Amino acid sequence: MIWKIVLFLLIAFVSIAGITFPIVAKPEHWYEFPLIMGLGENAKIIFFHVPTAWLTVIAFLMSTVYSIKYLRNKDLVDDIKAHSAAQLGMVFCILATITGAVWAKFAWGSYWSWDPRQTSIFALLLIYGALFALRSAVEVEEKRAALSAVYSIIAFVTVPFFIFIMPRIMRGLHPGSADDTNAGTVVNFKMNGNMQLIFFLSLIGFTILYYWMWYVGYKSMLYKEKLNKQYH
Amino acid sequence: MSSYALFKKDLASELRTRYAINSLVMFIVVTISVILFSIGNEKISDFLSGGLFWVVIFFSAMSGLSRAFVSEEERGTTLTLQLIASPTTIFSGKLLFNLILVFAMNIVIALLYSALFEAFVIKNLSLFLYAFILGNIGIAIASTLIASIIAKASSKGTLYPVLSFPILLPLMLTLIDLTKQAMDTTTFSSSYVELAILGCYDVVMIAVSFMLFDFIWKD
Amino acid sequence: MLEEFLSKNAIYIVMIIVLIVWAGVFGFLFALNNRIKHIEKEIEGDKGK
Repeated sequence: MIWKIVLFLLIAFVSIAGITFPIVAKPEHWYEFPLIMGLGENAKIIFFHVPTAWLTVIAFLMSTVYSIKYLRNKDLVDDIKAHSAAQLGMVFCILATITGAVWAKFAWGSYWSWDPRQTSIFALLLIYGALFALRSAVEVEEKRAALSAVYSIIAFVTVPFFIFIMPRIMRGLHPGSADDTNAGTVVNFKMNGNMQLIFFLSLIGFTILYYWMWYVGYKSMLYKEKLNKQYH
Repeated sequence: MSSYALFKKDLASELRTRYAINSLVMFIVVTISVILFSIGNEKISDFLSGGLFWVVIFFSAMSGLSRAFVSEEERGTTLTLQLIASPTTIFSGKLLFNLILVFAMNIVIALLYSALFEAFVIKNLSLFLYAFILGNIGIAIASTLIASIIAKASSKGTLYPVLSFPILLPLMLTLIDLTKQAMDTTTFSSSYVELAILGCYDVVMIAVSFMLFDFIWKD
Repeated sequence: MLEEFLSKNAIYIVMIIVLIVWAGVFGFLFALNNRIKHIEKEIEGDKGK
């Protein structure tokens, strides 16, 4: 109970601070963000865009871990857990794509420009879509669980290429690309202390939110399956 | 039963019906002619012709390679195969057959394509050959594994490209990039990373395939 | 007074909308969680009998 209140306050605080704290050239007070060249006011979306992209990867990782567990133990509960994680991953993947496209419109001038990271999120979207297409094509429960587990593991071994290698060796617009002269990763690029603090609070808050949503989704699917078996 | 025997069996049944070969040849002709029609008298850039080359290969692979395991399911010979051979043997037999098919198909495509498209000129032939060989191996492995998944699902035809595309995407992107480099320069030095990625992809894919095929095959 | 303040600082309107959306999502999730717990009790209770 207590952590739900904490979560509510945490994300409420991140929204308030992230949206309303002013961006000034030389921050003097604790509530002022530094001006990042070329971004200006629209730098604030980083508090919402990066967590969604982060959760897409986390959900995918979780889905794969439970898929491996399913293949080891053949326990259908693990399949439900993996499926629930994949569903949430799809939702956050769509959110990350949309927020990224909106940000790109105002920062780079067009909604979509096939930046390596945009390509990789597109590939993740395709992978999630293929996973659901595969699930709907198989009717026998055990077979569906085994096939989708295998597919998500195959997809997972190709994903590191998208997420970690390609954005760094190819030229792109995101920070951290091969031609980025600022030479920083996404996190520490020109943020000051309070901005980083709110950024990490946002990451933590959204991760807890993800876990809660995953738990509710998994429990509801589990009981649906149980009731189905009871009455048929 | 060895994997070579399985390969010979597949080859014999293929040569008897010529189903995959005929449909592949027709598919290559259709795809290339559609591209030629749509270009018309326009001049296309070198890079675009390099990209379209891999588009032709991708769609031809999608039409021809899905047969590997579906044919066994259709004839009802899956159980017999399960009885007489181990999963590893079966997978390597099918992989061998698909490898031959992919190489034959892509060599035909490459010859046809370079004859028909004036813009498609490779300056660095050996770089292109390395990329071509590694890419073909990757396509064969990934498509064989996806074909085995497809054979167990109910909607076999439509699902194959849907499942294959995300898995083949890193391979395709690297290959298109390498083809562009082979058309641009004659040096190797800038292409080692991409070649390494292709090699890694092949090794990772073959390891994952042999690990996971057991779970697909035994249900 | 308030309207004048809001028309000058439109970002606060964005903040209010985001907070309302977040409260809605949170409330929905909370209600869903309670419902699931209820069903859980019912199903597990049946096993006990």
